[in-house]
Amino acid sequence: MAADAKLSHTAAMILQAIHAGHIYGFSVMQMTGLPSGTVYPAMRRLERDSLIVSKWEQQSIADREQRPPRKYYRLTRTGRATLEAAWERYPLLARMIPSGEAEAEAERV
Amino acid sequence: MTAPRFRSAFTAQLNVRAASLLVPRRDRAAWVAEWLGEIHHLCHFPEEDDAPDSIEFSFGAFPDAFWIRCDLLRSHQFARLQSGSAARCLLILVSMAFAAVLLGLALPGARSALLPLRNRSSADLVVISSSGYAGTESPSIRLSDYEEWTGNARALFSRIAFYRRAIKGVYLAHHPAAQLVVAQASPDLLEVLNLPVSGAPAAEGHRPRLILSRNAWRAFYRGDPGIVGHTADIDGRPVLIAGLLPDNAWRLPGKVDAVLLEDAPSLAALPSTTRGFVIARIRSSAFPPPRGRWRTMFETRDGITRHFDCFTLCQLQGQPYLVFLFSLLLASLALPATTALPLGDYPRRRGRLPAMLNARRWLFLAAKFALVVLSVGLCSADLAYGFHANDPATALYIQLGVAFPALLFSFRWMLQDQRRRCPECLRLLSNPARVGQASCNFLSWNGTELFCSRGHGFLHIPELPTSWFSTQRWLCLDSSWLCLFPENCSASPEMV
Repeated sequence: MAADAKLSHTAAMILQAIHAGHIYGFSVMQMTGLPSGTVYPAMRRLERDSLIVSKWEQQSIADREQRPPRKYYRLTRTGRATLEAAWERYPLLARMIPSGEAEAEAERV
Repeated sequence: MTAPRFRSAFTAQLNVRAASLLVPRRDRAAWVAEWLGEIHHLCHFPEEDDAPDSIEFSFGAFPDAFWIRCDLLRSHQFARLQSGSAARCLLILVSMAFAAVLLGLALPGARSALLPLRNRSSADLVVISSSGYAGTESPSIRLSDYEEWTGNARALFSRIAFYRRAIKGVYLAHHPAAQLVVAQASPDLLEVLNLPVSGAPAAEGHRPRLILSRNAWRAFYRGDPGIVGHTADIDGRPVLIAGLLPDNAWRLPGKVDAVLLEDAPSLAALPSTTRGFVIARIRSSAFPPPRGRWRTMFETRDGITRHFDCFTLCQLQGQPYLVFLFSLLLASLALPATTALPLGDYPRRRGRLPAMLNARRWLFLAAKFALVVLSVGLCSADLAYGFHANDPATALYIQLGVAFPALLFSFRWMLQDQRRRCPECLRLLSNPARVGQASCNFLSWNGTELFCSRGHGFLHIPELPTSWFSTQRWLCLDSSWLCLFPENCSASPEMV
């Protein structure tokens, strides 16, 4: 998908949430307030369009903490450019989900 | 973990596993792992008081699964209609057949040739032809024979009528003179045919009655509704314009613009050797109703027995279908001379319901065959009868001339198309590559290789058929090869 492609508001919110450091599906749901039936399929479509990439947490980390591995998401370069284009269309987006709030969580992973 | 939280986690896991049944099988494990990871996180690390509990989260898995399935369906529907897909091929053939149907309905001649007879009582109508004539298109019955049968053949025919075609100049006041093909007929022709005539006034004196066809009425008299009841002049005789024939009602041999119903003395005034057509209605009590064509004989006044052929009107109406069936037979016989009939060697593949795949392949071929036959049949009839409806004999030859080559080339294309398709997904194979050298054919092979862009397998086509490699051969690839084919990955965008 081209960087100047038009995003729906839902997709832009999800991209903004991931950009802000909410890298798990559940934390994206919590931050955006969108239900599960919307967030996960939308993230799959964003991934298909190469705006985000998903990766499984390392099994060794999950084993150490005695829990199943989680899947986390990151913006791609195209996704970042698309999000920046979406900021012009949705100026309140960055205020609704400010960046940096969950960066500590992202760094922990 | 407390007992209530443990119960919540257990219920959430059950929900997620139930929802996963709605997810396509190949993506199921990844989705279950992601959901379970999130549920475990929710149960063990409740960060906020207002966070949904694990059960609430797990119910969201159902809409997740629903939308995943919808996305997959949409992508598959798009893929089905992509270039080279079986659905696209069938869609094009259906469109062609539909266009041929529309064309047939738009052309009056083709419509009347293809649609069944409107009049149910025409089952016992026969056209009588002299023995030795190939069909009914030529006038073969002498007027004297007809006159004899009106008295002698009552046991066989309940009603009998005669007509002959002639080009007559018709003169009508306030209208230009018109040269019409007129069926000069016995007075009871329309009653024998049971044809309704619109606007027919009661017989007036001894004037012959002229019934115009609607086509001639529109073409020569610009659809003037006032001409019915007026007197026209034919051969210096006044005739009464008595009415109009309905569209496509005349289905007897020879197209006519008008029917001139003569009274018996006028008809008798014609030379006895005048040849025309005889239509008769079979007496139902005479014998079981005959079908198709049959032969009968009559004894003349001089004691001479003569043979005549009787054709039921239904059989005459079925001539376009018979001609098309004949073309179909000819094309089927000629097909092996133009292309090889075998579709290739397709080995069975384990664990992939080979019978189902095979059946689908044959069903696709059968659907193509049916649609091709339907399209060619309708198109040939449209061309033949749509533009030459006035000359049925010529129309039959045109239909034969169009249908035979069209069927032959269509069948040839159908087989070649079938050979170039993947037996599993029925898409056209791509990327042909020449392999081997003709000079190294001994104990080796050379030819062309094509592959399925979804990674189902390879097709080997030998350049020179040999005893060990005589026909094209399909090589199945197992699922471990799928990752090499990018289209296979793009067909499932939900794969992670």
